[in-house]
Amino acid sequence: MLRSLERLKSWEGVLLLLLIAIVIFNSSMTPHYLQFQNQINLFELHIEKIIIVLIMTFIIINGEIDLSVASVMALAGCVMGYLFEKGVPFGWCVFAGLFTGVLTGAFNGFMVAYGKMTSLIVTLSGLIGFRGLAHVLLENRSVGNFPDWFDRLGQKPMVGPFPLAVIIFFVLLIIALIILQRSGGGRYVFVIGNNSEVARYSGVNVRRVKMILFIVSGLISAFAGLLLAARLGSIRGDTAIGTELEVITMVLLGGVSIFGGTGSLYGVLLSILIILNLRNGMGLLNVPGENQTGVIGALLILSVLVPNIGRGIWEVWNQRRVQRIRVGEEEKGG
Amino acid sequence: MFKKLMMLSVVFMLLLSACAPATTAAPPPATQAPATEAPATVAPTEAPTEAPATAAPTEAPATEAPSGEVIKATPGKELNMVFLPKFLGNAVFDLAHAGALAAAEELQNSAELQFLAPATGGAGTDQIPIITNATTQGVDAIMLSNNAGDQVGPAVQAARDAGVTVVTWDSNIPSAQGEQLFVAQVDFDTLGQVMADMALDILGADGGKFAVLSAGPDSSNQNAWIASLKEVLKDAKYSKLELLDVVYGNDETEKSTQEAQALLDKYPDMKLIMAPTTVGVAAAAKVVQDDNLCDTVKVSGLGLPAEMVTFVKNDCAPEIALWNFKDLGYTTYYAAYLIASGALEPAEGVQFEAGHMGTLTIEKDATRPDAEGALRVVMGPATVWNKDNIDEGVDAFK
Repeated sequence: MLRSLERLKSWEGVLLLLLIAIVIFNSSMTPHYLQFQNQINLFELHIEKIIIVLIMTFIIINGEIDLSVASVMALAGCVMGYLFEKGVPFGWCVFAGLFTGVLTGAFNGFMVAYGKMTSLIVTLSGLIGFRGLAHVLLENRSVGNFPDWFDRLGQKPMVGPFPLAVIIFFVLLIIALIILQRSGGGRYVFVIGNNSEVARYSGVNVRRVKMILFIVSGLISAFAGLLLAARLGSIRGDTAIGTELEVITMVLLGGVSIFGGTGSLYGVLLSILIILNLRNGMGLLNVPGENQTGVIGALLILSVLVPNIGRGIWEVWNQRRVQRIRVGEEEKGG
Repeated sequence: MFKKLMMLSVVFMLLLSACAPATTAAPPPATQAPATEAPATVAPTEAPTEAPATAAPTEAPATEAPSGEVIKATPGKELNMVFLPKFLGNAVFDLAHAGALAAAEELQNSAELQFLAPATGGAGTDQIPIITNATTQGVDAIMLSNNAGDQVGPAVQAARDAGVTVVTWDSNIPSAQGEQLFVAQVDFDTLGQVMADMALDILGADGGKFAVLSAGPDSSNQNAWIASLKEVLKDAKYSKLELLDVVYGNDETEKSTQEAQALLDKYPDMKLIMAPTTVGVAAAAKVVQDDNLCDTVKVSGLGLPAEMVTFVKNDCAPEIALWNFKDLGYTTYYAAYLIASGALEPAEGVQFEAGHMGTLTIEKDATRPDAEGALRVVMGPATVWNKDNIDEGVDAFK
């Protein structure tokens, strides 16, 4: 336990160093990087993803996974767009969109917690099924022309220079930090992720925790879907396609174990900042799209390899040292 | 143990997908095919600027005496300009880029032209970060072939608010939000006519059933052409032509191939596939040829002569049409240069000179009646290529 804690600490150290290196590189390479507006753009261009990253961290630490988040984003947006097209008052459309998220989350959660099915399979079918439903609703059309106040939420600064979504992200981040790192509920999340049987016998209501996590995940994904619709000014069936993988990438790069039980939001926050800054820097330096995804891929592979190789070298070196000391002692003794 | 294995496979999946250029897990190499299939014919960027005489098929329009003053460009201004097509690795966009470079050389713009685009197969909205970053960099002009429908509007508007000139080409912004001028390769309404005529020509007076294989469902140019095609089909002359279905291949070779195959399976009595996209028409022709169906099912649409020459000659795709993409990039560059340097204020009826393309007149965009203040300039008519003139076509696009 102690050792894994130490490793975690050092992993966050590595991430922090990487982030600092990227920031220094970016600011020395392009004068636009440090502009205030650019720092806001950097968050805004990926804001929906990083909001979902927060809840995905909970779910993966809990030993589960939610692959359906991007499809829920699209479905919630399409439900909203579909009703709006049919002339339903817009407030109800937004509510229906969010409620869609709660329903999909409850479905996922019920299947996992009470149906005893692997979350990977349940949410994989959600990934396909919810996306399919979204396409059924809007076919190949896109729905836009939402009321002005809704478009403004996503497109214009709200408080000072900050857009609403960016403010919401930081509020949610603080709430998530408090729950996961400081509260009893957060400890349950870790305990279940480590060993759900042990947790169950110690009186933790495992089913309830999982159910709540999936419902919140559905709700937040739906919310993110609506934010995206506000930012782009319209919604389509294929909105946010592939986003789930980028979300999971950020969580894993943040040092959260895919098997559950270990990880921290601090690491995930660092990994979010690393990926956003890296993408922004490459964009400002006009790195072609293909190379950008290549770099992110390489980073993920390195983030898995380097700690392992590092530990391997350390162990070999340690063994040799021990041997040398032994040999030395024997010689002295002989 | 089983659970661990499953989780490991997810990690593996993630790693793979992180390396792929697409945001989806679609296999990337196949989508690159159109560019690599015809490497020799892709225009060399060094094309001499005197040569465009070979680009004759697009007769320079509106050379008759202009009524008002014709705005001319002052060469030698240093303007940072971004050329932003729908995605990388598509031969027609490389041609347009070559045309823009030729115009940049003529106008002696000392700033380097940036050629930026999302990776092939990515989401249409991948263009948005590029526009936002270009705005941050404070470039003078963005030349956009839009691939995200109206979703790109807010980002373009933000660019305009920051003083960036935005000219669209090839594919406009349906709502015209933030767009100053659209350089249309061809009058969109005439293109439906061209496609209907080709279909009637190929199928003969008896007509028949046909289907449309388009690009992405949100590419506004293809949608406009299909709409104009449907309009034209109402004419009694084309009453024998029956449109069965419109499907979308997303301008990816693999998806287009699947969709073409599905059409063949679904409609056994279909006589023609009409694909108003260079990727789609090549994929459809390949499918029909490989299935040995060229005698019963024909292919037509908008195709690059170099990619289609074998299909035109073996009668799988007897007629195709296209305009010159090099001229499109060239005209777009002139328009963006004029607007960004402050010489041209786009408005209805204003005329400007675009190098060897001659004098062009800005008009109200009748194809977008709902979009307020949408302006366009039309480059010229499309050329139909068949067995007799396809070799000229291949040369013209070099």
